[in-house]
Amino acid sequence: MKSTKIKMTVLAAAASVVMSWLSAPVASAQDAAAAPPAVAPADRDWAEYKAITTCRWCHGPEGNSISPIYPALAGQKAWYILEQLQAFKAQTRRDPFAMGIMWGMAAQLTETQMIALADYYSKQKPPFASKPAPFQGAMIAREAQQGKSIYNEGIAATGVPPCSACHQADAGGNDQFPRLAGQHALYTIKQLIALHNGTREQAVMNGVAAPLQRSDMMAVAYYLESLR
Amino acid sequence: MARFNSFRFNAWYSRCGALALVLLGLVCAHPAQALPIFARQTGLACLACHTVYPELTHFGRMFKLNGYQLDNGKDITMITDEGKQILALPAVPNLGLFVMLGDVQLAKALPDSNLGGYTSLSNGGVELPQQLSLLYGGKIAPHFGAFAQVTYDFSVDTFNIDNSDFRFADAIVLPNKQPFTYGVSLNNNPTVEDPWNTTPAFGFPYVPPEVAVPYPGPIINAGLAYEVAGPVGYILWNEQFYAAFGAYRHAQNGSNSPGNAILGEGGPVDSATSTAVEGWNPYWRVAYEYDFDRYTAEVGTYGSYFKIYPGGGTALAGPTNNFTDIAEDFQFQFIGENNSATWKGTYVKENQALNATGPSGLGVSNATDWLSYLSTDFTYWYKRRYGFTTGYLSTKGSTDKLLYDASGPYTSPNNPLLPTGVVNSANGNPTTDAWISELMYAPWLNLKIVLQYTHYSKFLGASSNYDGVGRNASDNDTTYLLLWFAM
Repeated sequence: MKSTKIKMTVLAAAASVVMSWLSAPVASAQDAAAAPPAVAPADRDWAEYKAITTCRWCHGPEGNSISPIYPALAGQKAWYILEQLQAFKAQTRRDPFAMGIMWGMAAQLTETQMIALADYYSKQKPPFASKPAPFQGAMIAREAQQGKSIYNEGIAATGVPPCSACHQADAGGNDQFPRLAGQHALYTIKQLIALHNGTREQAVMNGVAAPLQRSDMMAVAYYLESLR
Repeated sequence: MARFNSFRFNAWYSRCGALALVLLGLVCAHPAQALPIFARQTGLACLACHTVYPELTHFGRMFKLNGYQLDNGKDITMITDEGKQILALPAVPNLGLFVMLGDVQLAKALPDSNLGGYTSLSNGGVELPQQLSLLYGGKIAPHFGAFAQVTYDFSVDTFNIDNSDFRFADAIVLPNKQPFTYGVSLNNNPTVEDPWNTTPAFGFPYVPPEVAVPYPGPIINAGLAYEVAGPVGYILWNEQFYAAFGAYRHAQNGSNSPGNAILGEGGPVDSATSTAVEGWNPYWRVAYEYDFDRYTAEVGTYGSYFKIYPGGGTALAGPTNNFTDIAEDFQFQFIGENNSATWKGTYVKENQALNATGPSGLGVSNATDWLSYLSTDFTYWYKRRYGFTTGYLSTKGSTDKLLYDASGPYTSPNNPLLPTGVVNSANGNPTTDAWISELMYAPWLNLKIVLQYTHYSKFLGASSNYDGVGRNASDNDTTYLLLWFAM
């Protein structure tokens, strides 16, 4: 009985992954990628000013956040940042910090400003692999080793597809999937939890994250953090 | 805030008939912090700016130093033909309410001011509310914001102006792409402009009980709160290096000028005022914050120089008593997803040049005195819901027989046989050591329940019989239950 239920879940997840690859979110991403919005010099200046005098409080210098509870944005794909800002403003992205902080921060942003901010952060130098604290080093290295295998090969037993299939072997992302490399492990774990339990709605990733165990999330997150 | 350990030096020796009021009134706490009005304006949950109010996060410090500007709601705006914005008024006024309900129990009741025995009903009274504050917080115009508070205080049964900060701030981007913020805060309590919770205005203990027995403290430790006002200019470089300089002069709100012969309470600043300062008095602050991983570490220094007329019927002219305060502070903060912990502290050393009173019989024995004040505390929160604090406050100072052992409030002219006590030091020394523990529960981010216990191992110079008429330091121990919410 139990194994049937697990199989059903796996099937459903796999199906939803395949379905969503073919459906709307990807298409809209492709549109965004196909026609990268042009940013006027005045808007570029505005975005740089805003990023340095406000967004930096959490997202750090040039989008390299210092605290791992906030995501690094440097080098993230512009289309992805734009999509997230739109989701914050529309209040459709509902993971806890998105709701508690970014809903307010994005509320007054215009489409032009969001495009300019996305453009600014996408052009910053991507984060360096952060060094784990010395007392965590060995544990994290072990986690990352396991994470590498999940990232590249998935988890066959529970039907988790390899992350690299979409996010690229170097986790650098592309025109359809966001960059993950170098992201703070704590932030990645937090997002995987939100995608796993559905507080953050994203059709593809809700399916992928559904069968993930907490230990799988940690392993993958530490691996991603170790990438440049 | 934090006024029970900041008993004014001047009030200390000019205490007279008003001392009963002083005991229950002037020591009042004046909190002024976490504001759902800010949440309403910014659209951010409290946790962006606070671990749990009133303690600020890095984000909260930046929000304050940049003039309370983030905005999420609708503004009423006006833009000229040249594209210059001349109005950005929040459509919903940023008004709020701050309520504290308290219940305090002293280990041993205070003496009845008429009967002399330890029978006062002030022990164990419920205060509903202990304080109720009306607030304005947030943006007034682009680059101009405020945090202003009017507080009703149960113990003095009146509304008073509370910590208020009107602030202009702007930021530029340096050629190396680092931010540089500059601003001016017009405020009414030295250190109100400061964004760390290590300095007195918003420091530990955040909420002292109203019926705590007062003892002396340095003047910068809220000793002139709301009695002075002035501009403080500041800069913040790269979210790391902070420097501020300002000057304060007397604010004519007169809450500390009891019994003015002509106008009564709240009268002009005249010889009945015990905190009238001469001219402009400087205040300064320098701090450095280093952020790494989920930690922030801060070290800093601050100080002031105040020239104060002796009051007590002496004309507001001629020599003044001069107070030089120099302080150091630190804060070490960890903010994770589920856990947050903060260890912080400050040490103030005050030198008092008593030029006006001196050994002249005006209530002090020495020409110079000194006071020091050490405060340190550790606070932990789990999921911003369950927390505890443990802290230590230590006051030391020079022995001054007349200053600290003057006749107490319970010596009535009508009945000179009544005992002195409670706020008198038999050995004329202010040394006081307090240990504070708190258990906290915050079922919602804007409501918390605090159970606080303060133990005095030493009070006004001794552990036992410190006042010479039988009161021990531990008789002043307080158990305090507080319900504190904001809306």
